[in-house]
Amino acid sequence: MKKDFFSSLFWLFIGVGVCYAGYDLKIGNFHDPGSGFIFFWVGIIMVGLSLIIFIQTIRMGPKVGEMKSLWSGVRWKKIISVLLALFLYGYVFTYLGFILSTILLLIFLFKTVEPQKWYVAVTGAILSALIAYGVFQLWLGSPLPKGLLNIG
Amino acid sequence: MDLWNYLSIGFSVALQPINIFYCFVGVFIGTLIGVLPGIGPVGAMSLLLPATFQSTPEAAIIMLGGIYYGAMYGGSTTSILVNIPGEAASVVTCLDGYQMARQGRAGPALGIAAFGSFIAGTVSIVGLMLLAPPLSRFAVKFGPPEYFTLMVLGLTILIYLAHGSMPKALLMAAFGIVLGLVGLDSINAVPRLTFDRLEFLDGIGLVPIVMGLFGISEVLLNIEQEVRRDIFKTKIKGLFPTAQDWRASTGAIARGSLLGFFLGILPGGGAVISSFISYALEKRISKHPENFGKGVIEGVAGPESANNAAAGGAFIPLMTLGIPPNVVMAMLLGAFMIHGVQPGPLMMKESPGLFWGVIVSMYVGNIMLLILNLPLIGLWVQVLKVPYKILFPLILLFCLIGVYTVSNAVFDIYVMIVFGIFGYLMKKFDYEGAPLVLAFVLGPLLENNLRKSLIMSQGDFSIFFTRPLAAISLIIALFLLISPVIPWMGRKRVEIPKEDIS
Repeated sequence: MKKDFFSSLFWLFIGVGVCYAGYDLKIGNFHDPGSGFIFFWVGIIMVGLSLIIFIQTIRMGPKVGEMKSLWSGVRWKKIISVLLALFLYGYVFTYLGFILSTILLLIFLFKTVEPQKWYVAVTGAILSALIAYGVFQLWLGSPLPKGLLNIG
Repeated sequence: MDLWNYLSIGFSVALQPINIFYCFVGVFIGTLIGVLPGIGPVGAMSLLLPATFQSTPEAAIIMLGGIYYGAMYGGSTTSILVNIPGEAASVVTCLDGYQMARQGRAGPALGIAAFGSFIAGTVSIVGLMLLAPPLSRFAVKFGPPEYFTLMVLGLTILIYLAHGSMPKALLMAAFGIVLGLVGLDSINAVPRLTFDRLEFLDGIGLVPIVMGLFGISEVLLNIEQEVRRDIFKTKIKGLFPTAQDWRASTGAIARGSLLGFFLGILPGGGAVISSFISYALEKRISKHPENFGKGVIEGVAGPESANNAAAGGAFIPLMTLGIPPNVVMAMLLGAFMIHGVQPGPLMMKESPGLFWGVIVSMYVGNIMLLILNLPLIGLWVQVLKVPYKILFPLILLFCLIGVYTVSNAVFDIYVMIVFGIFGYLMKKFDYEGAPLVLAFVLGPLLENNLRKSLIMSQGDFSIFFTRPLAAISLIIALFLLISPVIPWMGRKRVEIPKEDIS
């Protein structure tokens, strides 16, 4: 299957949703455009464009293996673990505080994708977190969460 | 007040020690991120935006502007030494720059890139200085229809020059407009697409979107497969080009400077396009076009001058009309607004210190860059040697801190991650981020001016065709949009590589 086949369907769905949101917000008229006026018309344009891509894809005929080659060799475990780590970081950020959560995140990242030796990962993580804390909190005055350690 | 008075105001602002310091920080970081593949000027500006909250608007804009033109300088180093462009505007420098390095002429290639950039940067500042005042005076007469159509034209040019499918670029722009309008309606305060989340009432932040689309997604793409980077091992000597090199490059630098400056002004144009067109021009007028791609110095001098001149030219539409011509300028518009300054035709009158201070600081910055770039090339080479496995956690950390410190909201971290995933998938499916971001910034302005125009004309669309400037802008935009279906125009559409940075 062609990759544009799926992406055009996705955008068609989004376009219809935007149109509906515009309608729901009241389109108004040309004399007095409502809050949903631009959403509705932009949604119509999105639907039209996704249909153009969809039709172009259909007219070009099947392209065997395109979707497969798109994902071949992708190190999914690495990508998913990095994303999970980032979400988790956001979740514990205010609770653990900037320094502790950042050290844990960096150790994980240093050890996961291209594993480093433990001392490199730990030292690198602590140093990076402390330098970032020094620059952003102490020097630039950006308030970072204190968390459990109550640093700041 | 005449130009000299304005300039003296500019010098009095730009030469204040604190502003010199911010200018230095800006051009240094700009060069650094220009050298490092994987983080571009937009990402760096997002990251450093919170760092400017405590400073004056002058210092903030001087630093952020310095990052942009500094990145144009730095990008050439990786192109020449590693054959990997540090940022998109230096892609074409790889062609001859890397070949020169392979022939043992890395020094003159780096040298001419630095001198060319300096000369072009200076030319563009002089142009900016001369063109901005009359344009500002002219722009005061613009009404909502002119602004609306100019923004439509800017977006259309960006879409027209997008590297791949035009419907896809248009879709991205449309989606960018939708995202830009999330939050309270500016006219009647109705919440729109907020999904009952308080965090969305003020709209989605520019920084989480930019960091996600350009920072996180780039990291995900880089770690999805094992890639090895080889640095060309050569001793860099003789950075000063010879007399023969200068003879070959002078014309290329002059042409690149003028071309870059005027293309930079064009909404939707910019550093990437000007560097490609400059290379094509040099090749076309050369007596030995067959040597291009084999290490000719004009192939480095022209594009490097053009991309730096374009960086200066891009300030004109932002500072005189309040319309950002590219994503970097959109970011800068955000910075202006955070500091309570509205760029546009009145800025020169209302904030002359800021307006002229920023322009004059570019002179100062260009001199700093020349001094920085030549003696510090050894340092930049060392930076290049930092392996990606060490670099990517730090890039992620910078993104996280940058996003959090703008709003002090963990919610924005999640928004950034979601846009990171979205940006990764966009790149996999060949959708570009630049039209989305520019449309995101222009969306509220577009809507506001469209609604005002329709209210003014009592719903009559002819208002866009009866006012000369609006009509011209709209006709050009329509012509560009239908051009792919006109056979002779479709063939002429230039293929530009992914403009993932500016």
